[in-house]
Order: sequence, then C-alpha cells, then structure tokens
Amino acid sequence: MESSLGDRLVGLLGSNAVVPVDGYNVDGLTPQAVVRPGNRLQVSEVLRWASAEQVSVLPWGGGTRMGLGNVPRKADLVLDLSRLDRLVDYQPADMTATVEAGVTLASLQEQLAPGGEFVPLESELSSRSTVGGILSVGSGGPLAHAYGLPREWLIGVSVLSADGIATKSGGKVVKNVTGYDLNKLYTGSLGTLGVIVEASFKLLPIDREAGALMASFPSLSSALSAGQKLLHSPAAPMGYQSVTSGASRRLQDSLNAASQDLGLGDPETALSFAFYSGRANATARRLEEGAALLLSAGANAVQRVEGPASNGLLRWITDAPSEMSPRSALMMKLSVPSKAAPSTSAESSDITLFGNRPEQLADPGFGTIRLFWPQAPGGAEEQPFLDAIKQTQQIAHRYGGSAVVEQCPLPIKGNIDVWGDAPDSLAIMRRIKDKFDPAGILNPGRFLGGI
Amino acid sequence: MEFKKFLTGLQGIVGEANVVFHHDDLLVFEYDGSVDRGLPYAVVFPASTDEVSRVIALAYGAGVPMVGRGTGTGLSGGAIAPPGAIQIAFPRMNHILEVDTENRLALVEPGVINLNLDTHVRKFGLRYAPDPSSQRACSLGGNIAENAGGPHCLAYGTTTNHVLGMEVVLETGEVVNLGSLARETVGYDLRGVFTGSEGTFGIATKIAVRLLPVPESVRTFLGIFPDVESACTAVSAIIENGIVPAALEMIDALTIQAVQKVSDAGYPDDAGAVLLIELEGLQNEVDEIGAEVEAALWDTGATQVRAAESAEEREQLWAGRKGALGALGSIAPNYFLVDGVVPRTKLAQVLGQVAEVSKKYDIPIANVFHAGDGNLHPCLLFDERQPGALDNIVAAGAEVLRICVDAGGTLTGEHGVGLEKKEQMPLVFSEEDMAAMISVRDAFAPDNALNPGKIFPDGVQHTHSAHPAAPGMTV
Repeated sequence: MESSLGDRLVGLLGSNAVVPVDGYNVDGLTPQAVVRPGNRLQVSEVLRWASAEQVSVLPWGGGTRMGLGNVPRKADLVLDLSRLDRLVDYQPADMTATVEAGVTLASLQEQLAPGGEFVPLESELSSRSTVGGILSVGSGGPLAHAYGLPREWLIGVSVLSADGIATKSGGKVVKNVTGYDLNKLYTGSLGTLGVIVEASFKLLPIDREAGALMASFPSLSSALSAGQKLLHSPAAPMGYQSVTSGASRRLQDSLNAASQDLGLGDPETALSFAFYSGRANATARRLEEGAALLLSAGANAVQRVEGPASNGLLRWITDAPSEMSPRSALMMKLSVPSKAAPSTSAESSDITLFGNRPEQLADPGFGTIRLFWPQAPGGAEEQPFLDAIKQTQQIAHRYGGSAVVEQCPLPIKGNIDVWGDAPDSLAIMRRIKDKFDPAGILNPGRFLGGI
Repeated sequence: MEFKKFLTGLQGIVGEANVVFHHDDLLVFEYDGSVDRGLPYAVVFPASTDEVSRVIALAYGAGVPMVGRGTGTGLSGGAIAPPGAIQIAFPRMNHILEVDTENRLALVEPGVINLNLDTHVRKFGLRYAPDPSSQRACSLGGNIAENAGGPHCLAYGTTTNHVLGMEVVLETGEVVNLGSLARETVGYDLRGVFTGSEGTFGIATKIAVRLLPVPESVRTFLGIFPDVESACTAVSAIIENGIVPAALEMIDALTIQAVQKVSDAGYPDDAGAVLLIELEGLQNEVDEIGAEVEAALWDTGATQVRAAESAEEREQLWAGRKGALGALGSIAPNYFLVDGVVPRTKLAQVLGQVAEVSKKYDIPIANVFHAGDGNLHPCLLFDERQPGALDNIVAAGAEVLRICVDAGGTLTGEHGVGLEKKEQMPLVFSEEDMAAMISVRDAFAPDNALNPGKIFPDGVQHTHSAHPAAPGMTV
C-alpha cells in the first residue's frame, strides 16, 4: 500500500515531485507519500487525483504549525508547497505584492525591503513559515494590536479547490467589494477548504525608527494593568507583551546585564515589552512618555532599547512560543476581549498541572494569553490534563472568548477537540466545508468540530 | 398564502402601524442611490431581533423573498426590492446599545446612522473609522451589507476591518452569532465573509464594532494643481516617501467648476485638480510628515498649498470635496456614478482613458475620487429627459469599468455589485470563481430567499430610472 500510493504519484507527476516521507509526520501519523509539486498545475493534478481516489491530503508549508488542530482522521498524502516560492508581482508604488504560497515570510520581507515596504504578517520561525501556512493558521503576533490578523492584509487569493479547480477571490487592488469576500473565509481555515497557491497583500512602508521599552513588574497582573494604561495613552505602543519570569529566563541569559538591572531574580517578577516604530521624533516622544507612564503604573524598572536591538527583542518574543514548546507539557492560547485579559490571566495562573502553575505570555491589547505548563516527571496521566484544559476553557468562555489547546500529549489530543466548544454557527461552517470539499479529503478532522 | 393574510401576519408581529403596503406609501422605498428601481410588496419596520426573526420566518414560509433596507443611500441597487419581495427596514432599531470604552467597542442596532455613532463615541475620545461620504444618512446595517468604505479607509481599512461580531437572522428566521467580542475567534471567519455579502446571507440585528482613539493631532492639506497628471504625480511622491495619509482625495477640473458654481470653496476657476491630504498622529509626527507632504506638493507642481489644523478650518478645506456630487447638479440634472478601482500607479493612465470615453460618447465626466486607494468615482453627467440618454450612459459606464479591469483593477471598491454591475462580474471572475462564492451563499441561505437576483449574472435586465443630482447625494 505504502509504495503503491507513492508509485502512482510518480506516474502522475514524475519522480522529481515525490519525496521521502521522513520528517513529515503529523501528530504521530506518517503519511503514505509526500508530494512536492513544482508548479500549480501539478498541485491541481494531485488534488484532482486525490479527490477521485478519496486520498486525504494534508497541505504543508514550512511545517512549523502542523501540530495545530485535532489529530487528522486520515493522513494519506502530504502536499508540500515549498517549491511554489516565487514573488510574482511587486510594485512598490502600488504598495501591493503578489506571491506564491510557499515563499517564507522572511524571504518575502527581504524581497520587499529594497522597495522600502513590508507585509504586516507576523509569525513564529519566519525563516521557515510560509505565506500559505500563515494565512491558513490566520493568527497574528506581538504587534497584532497594531496590525491585526493576516485577514486585514490579504487582498486577493488564488485557491485550488479540493478537486483541483482554480478559483480566485479579491484581486490586486487595496479596496474591493466585487463579489463575496472569500479571502476572509480561506484565512484561518487551516487548509480545510482548498489549497492556497497565490496571495496578494496590501503592504506598509518600513518605519524609519524602531524602539522598545523593557520593564519589570512585581507581578504579571501589575504588568498587564500597566500595559492597559499604556495602550490607552498617547504613548500607546504597536504592541505590548508581558511574560512571567520563567518564560523570560532564556532572555535573561542572553541579556544578562540588562536583566540584572531589571531585578529579575524574584520568581514572581514579570517582564513587559512595549514595541514602537515610526518617525524618529514621534518614536522618541512615545518612548519617553511610555517609560514614565510604566514607572508610575508600578514598574520596578524600565529600560529603553533602541534601533536594531529592539528588533531582536521583537523576534525573541515572536518566537517565544516555539522556544517554550519543547519544555511544555501543555500549551494553550486564549483569546478574550482586551479588558478581560488581566482577570483571565490571573485566574488561569491558579490552574495547576502536576502541581505546576503555567508560565504566561500575555498581550493585554489584543487579548491573547498563552499558557505553558512545564513538563513534569511521570506526567502522562490523562485526567489532570483534561481538568486543566477544561478549567482554562471555562475561564475563556466566561469572558466571551475561546481557548485552544496548542500542544498536549498525543493520547490526550486524540480524545478532545483542541478548539474547545463549538459556536452556534458550527452548522453553517459544516455546510461550507461540505460544499467546498464534498469528499472530505482536505485535512480531515483537524478543524473545529471535527471539520 | 393570500396577500391579505400575509399582511395580517406581518402586522401581528410588528403592529399595524409598522407595515407599509399602500402603493403611494411604497413609492419612497422604490429607490436607492443607484439608477435602478423596484417597488416592494410591503415594507416592515421591526423593533427587535425577535420581530425580525418572526417576520423572516413568516415570509420564508410564505415563499416571499426579502431584502434588508438600511436608509436607501446605496449606489448599486443593493436594497432595491426584487420582484414580489418585502423590504425589512430598521428605523426603529436605531439604538446604540453599549459603548465599552475599556474594550474600545460599541454594540449597535443595524439602524444606527454611521455619523451618529461616530459623534456619540467621540465624547469618550473614541471614533468609528469607516466614514462613507453618505455617513450623515447611511446606517451600520447597510455598511455591513456593502462593506462600506470612505475617505479614511486608506489608513484604517473598510467596514470589514472594524466589525468584531454580529447577531444575524438567517433566511429561515434562525438567529446565529458570528464572530465575538474577542479579536480572534475559532472556526471559519463567518463575520468576515458575511460583511459585504450584500444582504444575501442574512440580516444583521446586532453589531459589535471596534472603536479607535481620536488622534492627538489632525492636519489637512489642500493642493491646487494645473492638471490631474501632476496631482497624480503628487500622490505617488507622497506614497513613495513612506507616508500613508489618513485620507488622500482628488477632484478634477469639471468638478471644481461645478463646486465653484454652487458656492465659493476657494478654488481658482482654472484649477485642473485639487488634492486633499489628511494626516493624523502625535503633534510632532504630524509636523514632521506634514512638512514632507507640503514639500512633495510644491515639488510636483502645485500652484497653491493650504494647510489647516483646527476642526473648523479643516472642514472648510473638505467642503468642496464633500459637496462635490451635489454640486454636479449645476452642470447636469442627472449623474451615473462608476466605482472602479485600479492600482495606484495606473491612476493617471486610466483617467486619460476615461476622458476618451467622455469624448467618444459625448458625455461630460466629472471625477471625484479616493486617490490613495486607486478608487475612482467617474460621474457620467446627463439629462434623463433626452431620449436614449440613460442607455448611452450605461454603455459608457460599462466601458469605463472595462478600462479599470484591463488596468488590473476591478468593478467596485465600496459601492457593491448589486443589480447595477451583476452582468459585468464575468469581466473579473470565472464561472468557477462565482460558483465558489455561490456555494458559500448556499451554506448561509440554501433557498436564496434573501435579496435574490443580485451580484451574480442572470441575464435579467433591471428597470433603470435616473435620479437627480440632488444636494443631499454623496459619495
């Protein structure tokens, strides 16, 4: 069976497009074959064939978020899109760009930089994360308070349907209400409705001056309430992130001298980062007023980080969840209205797993709180996980938000819906899925409600 | 179901006074801001989600098609009643239910007027950013249906970037919540695809929108240019300097003449183009960028540059732009407004081609547009009393849209497809593209009972009727 699927694909696309399955596991499942098409015609052929043969297809960008979502019901074929990596069209004066889905975010930003522009997408591991993958996940990063989610920047998309038919929505212009806005539907659909092969984005000019504030607080809750004050002031940053001291320990090592000044010895200490960019004068004024505001709002100490060093901090915070991942037994991401962020964070901090409280990375502006419970010896027992997950979801739901399990042991993952309780619109979502993928071959089971 | 019995049913839900069905009373609901018209069967004014749900369930059961109507300012026929349809309108559901300053959001009913929301939340130092030029009259429910834009969408995005969640009623009367008060939700982004669905997916009965802080400083610049080409060069120069203004608007010579005829906006009679630029931010930010904008205007051939910071002075600079469409009435009794979008770099070229269309069809075309977004608004001027004038205009409008599409653009930036442009959808989208769109509609409204006959080509020609260029009309 294993060889036959691969052999049939070799027959379909030639041997160049079929690659070894090593390293392409999804939730412990090894696909029967991995195909790496060289152009979108080949992607279309694969999909048409898979649809007819009822072969399940798992689209794969950089493979950085393949653990997101439920355990797939079937994982026959991985469709690696990394060879579709061309910048198709870039007109700096239009402030738009069109790219193939397999280009990495870092590579795209490098290609846009000579035009003085960037695409306001954020992702962990940007040198591996692809545009298609980032759109499929649909999440933002530490600057989501300013940039929002990828949905805000996608102006057009080309998608191959489950049976390989090319469709598009939107276009290459920045304002467009021609036809339904399917861009929004594909963004965040985790590859369950079609395979994104090309995307057009609205861009922004690169700001001339970047800077950051780094502040220590006696507790995470004081860091978050100070953050809300800052975000509601004229010195509002582009993004504000607070981390518990355990989560910031790595940073502490790399910024040894600075962190000593910030008094990070105390385990209760929390660290906050406020990121700024813009014109030099305005950035300077925001940094100055912001630092004063944080001190008066209870910070132990505040440090200014200017220029490229602040970009380094931003990268560290962006990648923090990936860095925390190997040391974490359970990772959850909560999204709540911003006002509820401090209470959500405080209540979540009391949820223990094998006696451990979670480390936290919290964004009180956008309302995202990530929780990381550390690995514990002998921590394979199922019930404590289910209890912690349930309690966390209850907190998020009480504040009108959601809580997604981003990482947990596989046996537990197989028994839960990582997305939490389904909203009352699930029936509409199911009907959409049935229309777009009647054979149910695209990422079966990974999405909300087993879609 | 018999008409009388159906009406009695509607009256039983919303009260007798809130169902309009006499022919003369219905005439005002026959129009929106476009050239299309259609007389509804009846118009219903519900007061609550429950009433909307029961009205829809009744009509659905009776096989009567329905269309939501905001305030009728739409420019593509979106709210025009399809044959035999009832309209559901929201003058009674016009309450701002909550302003949550900590979460920076407002919860509103669909009949709330856009400007009323903005004015109300400014008391709290907040604002609602999407500002369609009809904002004094248009409602949030209609804004959702059309994904309305406006001058300040250049920096802040259109309606879809500001809607957090909605309570909507589906064609069967079922009430469903889309999105949430949190910025990120799980599942498909249904509130995203609902926004701009032109009333075909459902009717929003409660809407949560994001609010933004009022900036510390706002400065408006007005540049007078000898011609549209040099004004377009100024637009490029500003963008190339890494500046994204809050708004970047242009009007051309014909519009300037019309404006000056109606009231003195301070434009020289021989001006070829007026460019309006608005900057927002911290005081020192606006100072620094303002100096660069001013320099760019002079460098690209402006003959005059004015700047204003106080609300009153800024209003004066905007007056000509805001009153432009109404002023066109001084040149011709009617206009047909085209909403094509092109890449910014194609603006000058496309405006040149639009001028050729003007010559070819012997139609004066005035241009008032969102230059920063590449969103054109050529106004084709005519007199509907002249035989064949409207057909000539519709043909010329179609040619303008083809030019926009050929330049890499599209049919509509903010007005919607509606009835007006449905037959032109194949210029932009393939059968397969449209089939994918329709399959989403099928998931929301399998029986297509809400606003049928809009957006997608069906070969059905609709009745046109020109409407006068009245002072209240805006774009």
